[in-house]
Amino acid sequence: MGKPALLDEGRVPPPATPDLLDRAPCGFLSFRDDGTIVHANATLGQLLGIPATDLVGQSFEKILTIPARIFYQTHFFPLIKLHGRAEEIYFTLRSHSGAPVHVLANAARTDVDGSPRIDCVMLRIHERQKYEQELLQAKKTAEAANASKMRFLSMVSHDLRTPLGAISGYADLLLLGVRGDVNEAQSHDLRRIKEVSHFLLGLLDDILTFARAEAGALTVSREPVTVDSVLSRAEAIVAVQFQRAGITYVREPGPAELTVSADPDRLQQVLLNLLGNASKFTPSGGKVSVHWSKEDHRVLIAVADSGRGIPAELLSKIFEPFVQVNREIDARKQKGIGLGLAISRELARAMGGDITVHSVVGEGSTFTVSLPAA
Amino acid sequence: MLFAHGFGCDQNMWRYITPAFENDYRIVLFDYVGSGHSDLRAYDRTRYGTLGGYAEDLLDVCRALDLRNAIVVGHSVSGIVAVLAAKQEPHRFAQLVLIGPSPRYINDADYVGGFDRADIDGLLETMEKNYIGWANYLAPAIMANPERPELAGELTESFCSTDPVIARRFAEVTFLSDNRADLADVSVPSLILQCSADIIAPPEVGEYLHRHLPLSTLRVMSATGHCPHMSHPEETIREMKDYLSGKARAA
Repeated sequence: MGKPALLDEGRVPPPATPDLLDRAPCGFLSFRDDGTIVHANATLGQLLGIPATDLVGQSFEKILTIPARIFYQTHFFPLIKLHGRAEEIYFTLRSHSGAPVHVLANAARTDVDGSPRIDCVMLRIHERQKYEQELLQAKKTAEAANASKMRFLSMVSHDLRTPLGAISGYADLLLLGVRGDVNEAQSHDLRRIKEVSHFLLGLLDDILTFARAEAGALTVSREPVTVDSVLSRAEAIVAVQFQRAGITYVREPGPAELTVSADPDRLQQVLLNLLGNASKFTPSGGKVSVHWSKEDHRVLIAVADSGRGIPAELLSKIFEPFVQVNREIDARKQKGIGLGLAISRELARAMGGDITVHSVVGEGSTFTVSLPAA
Repeated sequence: MLFAHGFGCDQNMWRYITPAFENDYRIVLFDYVGSGHSDLRAYDRTRYGTLGGYAEDLLDVCRALDLRNAIVVGHSVSGIVAVLAAKQEPHRFAQLVLIGPSPRYINDADYVGGFDRADIDGLLETMEKNYIGWANYLAPAIMANPERPELAGELTESFCSTDPVIARRFAEVTFLSDNRADLADVSVPSLILQCSADIIAPPEVGEYLHRHLPLSTLRVMSATGHCPHMSHPEETIREMKDYLSGKARAA
């Protein structure tokens, strides 16, 4: 190995151990802001199949493939110019034979006697590049599969709505006696058909909302609305559920004028879901309470129940779709497919908020919706 | 004077230029949605599916500040974004300064854009590999933690684009765009700053723009590369001042 190639040898003092730089098992080069290479080590020359001395004076861009040149101009150079360094940048170099050489580069920009230089080490990645390629491919495949699953869910639920509407409508006609008198037993069965259709319709709505949220196509409006008004509407709907289940519902006194920035219908949907869950998972004789308050610029609405609580190891999972904590225990009582909390959290996030949970096994759970104050 | 950054970067890229103008002009800087410290929740896939959406951003800034007779300085893709905005609402702009602009990046029959489709696919792949490490971890964390802006700061340190998905889409929209047909309708005078040896906007592109953009002045700089405002700020400032003072108008 000879001396490392230097452009202006008079100005740059030679390194103390020039051989080491040339022998180092990584490419090294130094170039100016305009891309002119002023120094290249022998290893880089070997990687590219070009003598290191021939690299000096050339433009750095010349040893990059065209996509890497665009990346250099749009990302790498602005980054190193603004921040002085760049790390773990993937580049494809163009060797003398035209074969691509994949490298990972670290670079730092320093001043040498008032003249800025960009020093860059390049580590060849061969095996790693192959499996990264596979990982990237696998990620894309998984994303495509998930997207098509969502499209499927959304299409199926949409297509099921129409016949379901017809079933419910015909049950109505029969109940009204349009096709002749119905006896008590028939009327009972027809009402069951209607109830079940209504329930199914709710499920389909959940699936559609969830598919939209996953596709990032969830639309929410944002307007100032009082917690009091939205909560009152939700309470009117769930009151009967609490009554039937023998649960005491308490609304703790809260600031009546406190407003949040939210979509009133979506917020109602979130509160209905949390109150509905509380009514399902709190035993008869138990208590569900709601209170709300303001902390800094956020409004917190907490729904607390005296149910059996959620084991710590399951807390992180309950917001995932299709997960139901008590599926085994409550198989008979279950109504729904485990989308409620997933949807509620997506909705809260779409409104610039979030939902968190705190739970103690044997004591109960508290779900807290946080939203920006209006 | 309104500065619009290019693809892959944010408003920080103007830091070597703005000091030279801040005594004589009101300086307005902004980040496109998905870049710098922008609010990612404002991203709309349809709106930003064409450069027209980015031109709307530029016009939104003009409307919010009630800018009239503004000078827009647009780098790279923002050169064309400025052209589109000027075509739509010419009264807002007095002059355009276009640094390394290109109305179409992909070669087409006799037109030389500099790239083939395969090059752009290669760029998308390079971006993906460079973004993949943190894309899956940090980006969702930022989306989920709007109250922690320092997370976005970390990403801005890594790359100036804060969201990999948006950056990829921006790359596609930028490099697959064809705005040659919009040039003839522009009535605002413009300066085209063309670098020597710029791979992204080669000399042929600058000449094409000059021929088709009415009232345009073409200046070929000795600066090389695609970011003369960062690599050669003095020359860039000189060219801008010459043009704005009327010295370079006849060129």
